[in-house]
Amino acid sequence: MSHTHDINVHFHGELDALERKVLGVVDRAERMVEMAVRSVTTGDLDLAEEVIGMDDEIDRTYFEVHQEWTNLMARFQPLGSDLRKMAVLLQLNITFERMGDQCVNIAKTTRFNDGLPRVERICDQIREMGDLVRPMIRTAVDAYVRSDVDEARLLPAMDQPVDRLNANMYKETVAVSDNKLLLEWATKMMMVSRALERIGDQAVDFAEHAAYLVTGERADFDEKGMAPAVDGNTD
Amino acid sequence: MTPERTRVASQPNDTEGRAEVASTGATAMPLPPPAAMRTVSVDVHYGDFRAVKDVSLGFARNEITALIGPSGCGKSTMLRCLNRMNDLIPAARVRGEVFFNDRNIYDPGVDPVEVRRKVGMVFQKPNPFSKSIYENVAWGAKINGFKGSKKDMDDLVERALTRAALWGEVKDKLGESGYSLSGGQQQRLCIARAVAPSPEVLLMDEPCSALDPIATLRIEELMLDLKEDYTIIIVTHNMQQAARVSDMTAFFNVDLDGQGHRTGYLVEFSPTAQLFTSPREKDTEDYITGRFG
Repeated sequence: MSHTHDINVHFHGELDALERKVLGVVDRAERMVEMAVRSVTTGDLDLAEEVIGMDDEIDRTYFEVHQEWTNLMARFQPLGSDLRKMAVLLQLNITFERMGDQCVNIAKTTRFNDGLPRVERICDQIREMGDLVRPMIRTAVDAYVRSDVDEARLLPAMDQPVDRLNANMYKETVAVSDNKLLLEWATKMMMVSRALERIGDQAVDFAEHAAYLVTGERADFDEKGMAPAVDGNTD
Repeated sequence: MTPERTRVASQPNDTEGRAEVASTGATAMPLPPPAAMRTVSVDVHYGDFRAVKDVSLGFARNEITALIGPSGCGKSTMLRCLNRMNDLIPAARVRGEVFFNDRNIYDPGVDPVEVRRKVGMVFQKPNPFSKSIYENVAWGAKINGFKGSKKDMDDLVERALTRAALWGEVKDKLGESGYSLSGGQQQRLCIARAVAPSPEVLLMDEPCSALDPIATLRIEELMLDLKEDYTIIIVTHNMQQAARVSDMTAFFNVDLDGQGHRTGYLVEFSPTAQLFTSPREKDTEDYITGRFG
């Protein structure tokens, strides 16, 4: 066929709008990660409340996208790459909603840890994890927008140091276990570390979806040997 | 046609019918069931003009194969080749081979009536005869030389109507006209008539296009039941219908020459789930997503 033209204009217009709405959450999610990490490492309660409030908008978008997605499926019953994009958008919608929830968990830890002593070394590590996962989200989005499978495949390697730091958190907590108050604080920071590690995993999932959209084949990047697990913690 | 397209299903010695599909994956797939029918390099001409070119396909036994594609792509023409219905069209010529149980049905000496007994057909518009419901079903068996008793015929009519999921609705009014039934019931009556002579293959040419959604759903459910006993090949304009009912899907496209003649050809023959989510050919992708000129 020498040329094609789109005779499914209305559907594709609505699909593009849905995609913009889903991806529109990314900036907010990325900002929430930065703010949540800053609040928990500095003990800034106001900042923590702001993060918790920002999640309402993500939740609202989540429900709107779900409703619009259901309407599109019922009305157009897409096939081929359109169907794959619909499948990916539904998954991304869930992914971003969960990223928001993880940021809320981190922000709430700021409340729980209020008044407790802190260990600056652990705070530095949490900041480092935050600095590592935010570019992961951005890279996954870029890979999706550019349909760039090679860029998507960068994600497992980017996730490795995050996993390593999360695994190290246990040792850091044990190291302060003689001090009851520090132990209480550090135990909660383990949950923060875990939340950041999950956000990293969600970014990897995002990149896998981006690759699927291009190739039509589901691939677990880890199983492909592109990124061997660091500490065996693969969930 | 590109070499890739030719490779899709042109395997003259391929007795398994769609082994070419199984051999394309990197990982081993289960062997396909044996083909009930297969075509080898089939061309159909109407007079001087070639309506379909070089189609090689295998139809696996007890599976549903859907033929889809834009208007004029030759899918109905192709379907009619499979039981020599094109013989009834003046100026139609079929080249190539159509094997049914490993015999070319176009060989001299093959009786087309016998072919049509083993390869039955259901048409787009329900077409019951202006006879009773009973006679509509009995007719198919009678013209195929049924020689049993009245009781045998009663049993056959009941079996066929039961197989077509219609018995419960008509058992008390078998003497009424076939026209007294609703459109969906009439189509199921035609299916009962088609299965009465005990065919092996059922060809369905857009069997639901004249039916409402509920009647369509009943026919689709019936097709899924019938494939336990029959090999079904369906032409449909409704891609969602093909996606719902078929195991394999063949996508046909059409070339337009300078004189406005349309010639259909096979683009892709794949497992249905693959063809509708990750088709191998760009033309298939363009068609199923509506990016088709």
